[in-house]
Amino acid sequence: MSKNRDVIQVKSLEKTYALGEIKVKALRGVSLSIAYGDFLVVTGRNGSGKSTLLHQLGLLDHPDAGEIFFAGQEVTLMPERRRTELRLRNIGYIFQEFALIPELTALENVMLPAMMIGARGSARKRAQELLARVDLENNLDHLPSQLSGGEQQKVAIARALINDPMIIFADEPTANLDSIAATDVISVFQSLNREADHTIVMVTHEPEETACGNRVITIADGLIR
Amino acid sequence: MKNEFKIPFFLLGRFMRGSNKWTLSLVIFLLAIAYINLIFVNSLFQGVISASNQQVINTSTGNIVITPVEGQEFISNAEATVSRAEQADEVNAAAAETEVPASLRYQVIDANFPVIAIDPEQESRVTNISQKMIQGSYLKAGDTDQIIIGRQVTGAQGAQNLSTFEGIQVGDKISLVVSGIPHEFTLKGIFYSKFLEADNRTFVTRQALDGLLPDLHDKASNIIVRIAKTGTEQTVIGQLRDRGITGTFNTWEAMAGQLTTVVDSFITINALLTTVGFLIAAVTIFIIIYVDISHRRQEIGILRAIGIKGYLIRTTYVFQSLVYTVLGVAVGAAVFFAVLVPYFWVHPFVLPLGDVTLAILVDDLIGRGFGVLLLGIASGLIPSIIVTRAKILDEIAGR
Ligand SMILES: Nc1ncnc2c1ncn2[C@@H]1O[C@H](COP(=O)(O)OP(=O)(O)OP(=O)(O)O)[C@@H](O)[C@H]1O
Ligand SMILES: [Mg+2]
Repeated sequence: MSKNRDVIQVKSLEKTYALGEIKVKALRGVSLSIAYGDFLVVTGRNGSGKSTLLHQLGLLDHPDAGEIFFAGQEVTLMPERRRTELRLRNIGYIFQEFALIPELTALENVMLPAMMIGARGSARKRAQELLARVDLENNLDHLPSQLSGGEQQKVAIARALINDPMIIFADEPTANLDSIAATDVISVFQSLNREADHTIVMVTHEPEETACGNRVITIADGLIR
Repeated sequence: MKNEFKIPFFLLGRFMRGSNKWTLSLVIFLLAIAYINLIFVNSLFQGVISASNQQVINTSTGNIVITPVEGQEFISNAEATVSRAEQADEVNAAAAETEVPASLRYQVIDANFPVIAIDPEQESRVTNISQKMIQGSYLKAGDTDQIIIGRQVTGAQGAQNLSTFEGIQVGDKISLVVSGIPHEFTLKGIFYSKFLEADNRTFVTRQALDGLLPDLHDKASNIIVRIAKTGTEQTVIGQLRDRGITGTFNTWEAMAGQLTTVVDSFITINALLTTVGFLIAAVTIFIIIYVDISHRRQEIGILRAIGIKGYLIRTTYVFQSLVYTVLGVAVGAAVFFAVLVPYFWVHPFVLPLGDVTLAILVDDLIGRGFGVLLLGIASGLIPSIIVTRAKILDEIAGR
């Protein structure tokens, strides 16, 4: 098996939260690989460790033990500066709670990560294209507070795509949406995966959403079942 | 230029656009108050100090006091020296003063107040005693048996240790006792300059001195010089020397005597209050910025999560607090110049040493303004360093 076929390889990942005296073992040795072009759906009961896993893979947190290879590079011990760079260029992360900057318009939220790399004009142009792709071309100048939940989630998706990442993580992206908005968001992911060959890891509770990927894993009690 | 350098300006612009105008006004108002607090007391104290300095200059010493060269009792050729001094560009006027070796007697009371012989017209161009008469009138040329005295001589206030001429009235007779022989003078007027040392003195004309002690004709104990611009004394002393005037040159500061200790303690109090003012400003600014940045923790977590580098986030918040403090200092300075300075100009503090207005010390205003800006930078930097080191997930989750 060639490592380079995989975007991500995870080996015996462990994460324990300490709540005072009590220790919560959220991940108990998860091993996993994600190949280019995968649409991986992660399910499991509440508190099973799905978000914890996604945080480690998205370089938002540090595991207690285990290794994560990102395109062949070990990342858990990387300096924060380089992890930030990876998050910027190679990872798109979509939070359950949208996580948009309230003072920025839809367009500005989307173009911000691109402004870190390229000129403002090209960032704006690309952000407009991405917002059009999620049907928000008429809401470019709306602040997050002036958008519906589904629209905000679509802005977050556009933002995650702006730097053309190797992989997109989405943690329950439809949990706050009604069924129509949810279907909308899922179809955006599907077309991204099929037409643009984006690698996607999505956590979901919805049984009908488990069918939209090409792989499903279930987490139970900090382990892949 | 790297593209990412534009991020702080971009974010700051959006944050300012999106900020609540009332909150922003309140923040700027508080910072303006902190700045005014730093400059107001300083300006007031400097006003007190310059009022008291000005009073010494106006009532007794002029800017420069020329005393005889060491070993000599008098400056000879007093008139010639005065005219030569007055020819210097920066000199407004000069006047010769001669201490009369006499004691004063009123009825049965003997007292030892300085008696000074002057040319009234010349003296009134250097000091303002002529405008400070509270009874009677000032001397004029040809007053050979007239004397004017300061209010302290009448035993007014704070003069307990000396024997004084309480109850004396204009028109009463005073004797000048020279070498044991009394010479009768008439009290022509009483002056009150509010500067104790000046109000301790008495004056007669040079013609009167010629009658008492002809040997002292054209001899001066000192020559006082009024210059165009206070603060340039040393330059003018150089010019006077160049004009061939000999003597010992003193500035008013060296002659002010006891008053400098008052000024010194004002300087000490001012330094203390300035320190306290800076502490208050530091705490105010820090709290304002800290609260502001704390409110943005979640947003900062998001920025970090999407890959905005920490130093850009820190720069954004340092710029933000810099903008707050620049606006605060600008508003504070505007209020100071547009409201406080004119107000004190119209309603000065009336102190015994004279009317006090706010001194405008450009260096101090700028220095303290920069001090506030530095506090702003530090106040922006410290919380943003803390915030960009915390765990990203804790910030996003608001933990
Ligand atoms: N910051 C934290 N501090 C302490 N314990 C935590 C923390 N985050 C998660 N946990 C615990 O770790 C376990 C796994 O949590 P995690 O959020 O990964 O679950 P999840 O599978 O995403 O659940 P859900 O479906 O409800 O989102 C849970 O028992 C949770 O209580
Ligand atoms: Mg979760």
